[in-house]
Amino acid sequence: MLRQSLAIMGREVRYLWRERGLRHILLLGSLLGILLFWGIYSAQVLKEIPTAVVDLDRTKQSRELVDGIRNAEYLKIVAVPESFQAMEEMIKEGRAVVGVVIPEDYGKKVSLHRQVRVLMVVDGSNIIYATNASTAILTVTRTIGTRAGIATLLARGIPLSQAEDAYRGVNIEDEPWFNPTLNYAYFLVLALALNIWQQCCTLTACMNVIGETGLNSWRQIRAAGVSRLQLFFSKSLVHIIVFMITVLPVYLLAFEVFKLPLRCGFPALLLFTLVFAVAVHGIGTLMSSFARSAVNSSRFGMIVALPSFVLSGYTWPVEAMPRWLQPLVKVLPQTWFFQGINYFTFNNAGWGMMTHYMLIMAATAVCCYALAALFISRS
Amino acid sequence: MRQVYNIACYEVAHIFKDFILFLMVFLVPLGYAALFGAVYVAGTLTDIPLGIVDLDDSRLSHEIVTAFRNSPRFHIVETIGTYSRLEEGMKNGTVRAGIVIPENFEKKTELHQKTKIMTCYDASNLIWGYNIRKYALEVLNQFNAGHTAEYLAGLGMTKREIRDILDTVSCTTEIWYNPTLSYANFLFMGLVMMILHQLGLLSAGLTITREKEHNSWIQYLAAPVPGWKIFLGKALPYFIAGFFNYGLLLWFAARFVHVKIWGSLPLILLLGLLYDVIITSFGFFLSTQAPNSLQVTRYLMLLSVPLFLISGYTWPGTHIPAALNALARALPYTWMAEGFRLVTLKELGPGEVRITLVVMGVMAAASLLLALAFARRRNSPVEQGLTVNGGPAYPGKN
Repeated sequence: MLRQSLAIMGREVRYLWRERGLRHILLLGSLLGILLFWGIYSAQVLKEIPTAVVDLDRTKQSRELVDGIRNAEYLKIVAVPESFQAMEEMIKEGRAVVGVVIPEDYGKKVSLHRQVRVLMVVDGSNIIYATNASTAILTVTRTIGTRAGIATLLARGIPLSQAEDAYRGVNIEDEPWFNPTLNYAYFLVLALALNIWQQCCTLTACMNVIGETGLNSWRQIRAAGVSRLQLFFSKSLVHIIVFMITVLPVYLLAFEVFKLPLRCGFPALLLFTLVFAVAVHGIGTLMSSFARSAVNSSRFGMIVALPSFVLSGYTWPVEAMPRWLQPLVKVLPQTWFFQGINYFTFNNAGWGMMTHYMLIMAATAVCCYALAALFISRS
Repeated sequence: MRQVYNIACYEVAHIFKDFILFLMVFLVPLGYAALFGAVYVAGTLTDIPLGIVDLDDSRLSHEIVTAFRNSPRFHIVETIGTYSRLEEGMKNGTVRAGIVIPENFEKKTELHQKTKIMTCYDASNLIWGYNIRKYALEVLNQFNAGHTAEYLAGLGMTKREIRDILDTVSCTTEIWYNPTLSYANFLFMGLVMMILHQLGLLSAGLTITREKEHNSWIQYLAAPVPGWKIFLGKALPYFIAGFFNYGLLLWFAARFVHVKIWGSLPLILLLGLLYDVIITSFGFFLSTQAPNSLQVTRYLMLLSVPLFLISGYTWPGTHIPAALNALARALPYTWMAEGFRLVTLKELGPGEVRITLVVMGVMAAASLLLALAFARRRNSPVEQGLTVNGGPAYPGKN
């Protein structure tokens, strides 16, 4: 029995190796993925948002304001256009994301403590830029308003201490937890590479059953009296071991070379990944059990695997999705895996939560394998 | 043209005969768009779970709590009352942000002693992180303005005087092109363009591999039909379906996901037309080169995420290394996604997107050339070693 299983496993390893396309996908897909994504996010933090300042006043007061903008976190003055139209063009063409217009009589009005309006424009077409820029602008506007308000109160004869009290307000201290530098590479690179890895795994698993039943040699296997359970169990074991071997270099690069955060411990992460690999394999096996050909099986598998990252809530939260969609996305093991990767690598959310997530993924795997067994037995 | 028409009819018959292909050409694009549309339909984050630890329990601290309670952006989770619970909640995702008001906060504030409120947020997901940071700052800026107004009223100033002082230098912030900072406006059309790209390439990419698998490609090669007619006949149904899907998904996005699709209609159509030509002809070319449908399916599917990310559609190209940017510039998706955003969101005219149009025009001409000049010969079988699924056949039930 064991010998027969080992023989089947050896055969499966040979088959996987001989299939050049799948071999390349499995060995190189996720590795190339993590290198590419690390390259894309190598800047890590979105600082130095290009800012254009139109200073129509050119007085001491307006220059002070420009200095305030220059010192703002995240903003970088890249141009000082002559007119509003020139700034508008720059934003249209994407050369600036933030535009500031200081009106002609700014200095005069500030000196006379009269009302004056400064226009601040943010290009909202790329939200990653726009959210950062808006936050930076909120800080700048608060400082400018406070300074001008205190000066006005002083001019009206209010003592300095009272003027400062009026604007003292509430001070806040900003603390980003789990990813203190707001590093985009930490947030996305590993998850995206694992997304490619799970797609590669799905493609492999989609060959599990149809790769046998779709070949003429299936009759020989049947005639040889090999039990289907033994055959597919041995094949699946090889697949899952290969999945785990292929994820190791991804983790090695992520945690040892790129120094991405890992707070839950490596053995725990591997165990969590193993349960997910089994769940993904279950889905692929299910697809391959009812598909009429390997192409259709791959298509069915990818119909699930491709949108799963967007649906997983890793980027756009599940809580913000419509209520009817939330239970549907929670059926996918990818949702639990990617959410879990975030919780465990960044927050070390604890064994209780990890066990809960693993049980759900294991339940998906059991359902898929059971359905696949049903289809195989009927074929 | 009769020959082109006949080949096209034959291809249409194939589409209707192969149920999965039929779904892929006509229903899956809309299905995916509906799914992604549902994900992003909310557009902005609201009701962010917020935990408040009020260690002061004073009038001032209650006012701050009320300011956050009144914000539509936050939803206060009442069960969080202590710092340890806040930590636990942040770890397991029960709350995504927290406000900690320290002991003696009001007293210290009145005595002008150093004291601060701590706002913490979960930065492990930066969509939460960046938005919470911005929203918290908005709430506190507003609270501080109210506090100042109240103080000035206490000094006996009238409402008008207070307004004049508060607005001495007022900053009007305008968000252009996407005023609500809606994620649907930002991301959804990029995903739609990727759906069209991948499904278009895949559908057209299977047209010749299918013939190879059925051993009928040889008939095309042997028949006295020019190559360009084979290409036109084979690609035409996918081109028409692709353009139909482009229009359908645009309508769907505007009607149901409320995506801003403004700008010049002829320009939108022209971009779609060029994109469709590139996809269909390149898909056909791929199909002539690929050994079988399985390989085309596998490789194309895996390209979706890398193509989307490298394009600079989300993470700006200015922050991507030059080599990767150069690679991205060679891909039609990069130009289409950006061009479409410029036209529909920023409402730019032909003059301002001329570079995009020229590049896409060149790409369309190049891919057409590749497809029209495909080599009319049968690929010789691979002789080196044993290959599995590398030839014209792959496992399938008879």
